[in-house]
Amino acid sequence: MASVYKSLSKTDGHKEEDSTNGVKKNKQRVLILSSRGITYRHRHLLNDIASLLPHSRKDAKLDTKSKLYQLNELAELYNCNNVLFFEARKGKDLYLWMSKAPNGPTVKMHMQNLHTMEELHFTGNCLKGSRPILSFDASFDSAPHLRVLKELFLHIFGVPKGARKAKPFIDHVMGFTLADGKIWIRNYQISETEASAVSTSETPGDEKPTVKAREKGKETEISLVEIGPRFVLTPIVIQEGSFGGPIIYENKEFVSPNQIRSEIRQKKAGRYNARAEQSVERLAKKGELGLRTSGGRTKPRDALDTAELFA
Amino acid sequence: MVTKSKLKMALAAEKQIDFKKLKLKKAQKAARKQKAKKAGEGKEEKKVEGEWEDVDGGSDSEDENAEVDEDEEESEAEGPKKIDIEGIDESDSDSSAGENDQEQDDEDDEDEEDIPMSDLEDLDDEEKEDIIPHQRLTINNTVALTAALKRIALPISKLPFSDHQSITTSEKVSIPDVSDDLNRELAFYSQSLSAVKEARKLLKAEGVPFTRPTDYFAEMVKADEHMAKIKAKLISEAASKKASAEARKQRDLKKFGKQVQVAKLQERAKETKQTMEKIKVLKRKRQGADTDATNEADLFDVAVDDEINSAKPSRKDRMGPNKRQKKDAKYGYGGKKRFAKSGDAMSSGDLRGFSAKKMKAGAKQRPGKSRRAGAKR
Repeated sequence: MASVYKSLSKTDGHKEEDSTNGVKKNKQRVLILSSRGITYRHRHLLNDIASLLPHSRKDAKLDTKSKLYQLNELAELYNCNNVLFFEARKGKDLYLWMSKAPNGPTVKMHMQNLHTMEELHFTGNCLKGSRPILSFDASFDSAPHLRVLKELFLHIFGVPKGARKAKPFIDHVMGFTLADGKIWIRNYQISETEASAVSTSETPGDEKPTVKAREKGKETEISLVEIGPRFVLTPIVIQEGSFGGPIIYENKEFVSPNQIRSEIRQKKAGRYNARAEQSVERLAKKGELGLRTSGGRTKPRDALDTAELFA
Repeated sequence: MVTKSKLKMALAAEKQIDFKKLKLKKAQKAARKQKAKKAGEGKEEKKVEGEWEDVDGGSDSEDENAEVDEDEEESEAEGPKKIDIEGIDESDSDSSAGENDQEQDDEDDEDEEDIPMSDLEDLDDEEKEDIIPHQRLTINNTVALTAALKRIALPISKLPFSDHQSITTSEKVSIPDVSDDLNRELAFYSQSLSAVKEARKLLKAEGVPFTRPTDYFAEMVKADEHMAKIKAKLISEAASKKASAEARKQRDLKKFGKQVQVAKLQERAKETKQTMEKIKVLKRKRQGADTDATNEADLFDVAVDDEINSAKPSRKDRMGPNKRQKKDAKYGYGGKKRFAKSGDAMSSGDLRGFSAKKMKAGAKQRPGKSRRAGAKR
């Protein structure tokens, strides 16, 4: 009820505010929290992400894993319209939920290959709370579920213009690339160097930027230095509501880590069974051929058998 | 828009999936009892049941279709509960075709009407478990996805660039092999780099400050101590690299140095050998000349000195006439002294002291004993 009022009043406010240009303003706030049972690496990653997003609100660990709809109330409490929820399972698997708080959609993703800033030792650095440039792969526009994902990334990882703690300069870029059905996320610092210094040492192949630099006189060369963190997301499910509602997309290609582990275990456990079965089969086969003294088929007596000949 | 009660209902639906499955299983069991003869197909059914939950590749879809066809014959007798499974399976096999989804959406709506929303809100958990929500799982509900997207999408085309700062590449980033780390990271890098170049152009056009001035200091994402750690690591890495290179160089040098030393020793040995040879030659030359040395040069062994001097100036120059040398020449020096007096091929071949007459005569014969005794007297 309060949320309805809030959303209504918000839109009203927007109308007054945006009467000049007549478009919705990009206003985002992200609630970042995790479930219980995350490892230190998960926690560090969460902190890294929180430090990159000045429009985020970090909250204490959520007690429950089944009643995720509680997150909606929490988001409402903190005035957030996005939720980034880290769900740890079995102390090793990390699932990332991204949701638009009051009424969806929600995306559940499996996070793999995660490396925190601390362990990566990259030399890049950026202002805390500077607004990133978001670089998306064109394949995000190829399917509707990917478009939804892109929109969510845009809302959650893009720092809105008027964010409270945002810094005025732009010094890092976040790359979202789709490869192998997974989303790869990288974070780079934009380092600018004087064009004149670079142009002398440059190969003739890179003529274009130097020419441009000369024309403008003050344009600098851009290179990127990675900051971290790194992680890979596999989308699993998209729900229509926020932490609820019908599932509107399901990734059939996703294999849960539990299944992978169990299959490995099964494979290992199956070794003995396979061997035992093989030996039984071999015995049966031998019996069938009449090569066993007891059991199986007995050979028909041959006319040339010694017992037959010298009877 | 989805209302709140609807949401809750949907959530309940999410939770109740297992119960639904159980019910379906029961229904199937009943059906199986009716048709006890088809034991094999019962297994297949089970498989179908599980299929929408476990993860299959796209290649399985044809098999599923076949199974579904078989199931359909059975299900006619079973009543309405069976239909759910079919619906699920169909959704499995069809792709994201829009028309089908539309149909399913419509069906969804009907089902939702079946359940009074108010009931759901007031139920406690235990009662909720008993509800069988009529909910359909679709793999890729395009219509719903686009609707959801439309609901949340920012009007990017209308917003100024500085409001969203997102750039999509003009063509897809292709990564042929994701396990090839270098090329993959390069692709990511180049994607971001091109985005940054474009973004800078757009931002400059909008007059948004881009570059951080050098005198602007603020808190960074990585704290100073973190950067110090990174720096220390870099330094230690470089140091270890340098140390290892140095060690390798030293090792090579050691190997080479040994060779040099050996060469030097060999050279020295050769030199001494040469000198000795020369001296020996000279000695042999003047074996007889020693005694009647009237020539001063001969007397003082100038030739030896000259010979040696040609190679290397030595102590002997300064010493002048050398007593030792003379003694050596006189009594001999060096070489083995054993068997010096024993005969050899040369001496036995030497016939200077031989005369046939001496041999024949045998000189005087030794007189007999009496004669010798008579001679004594």
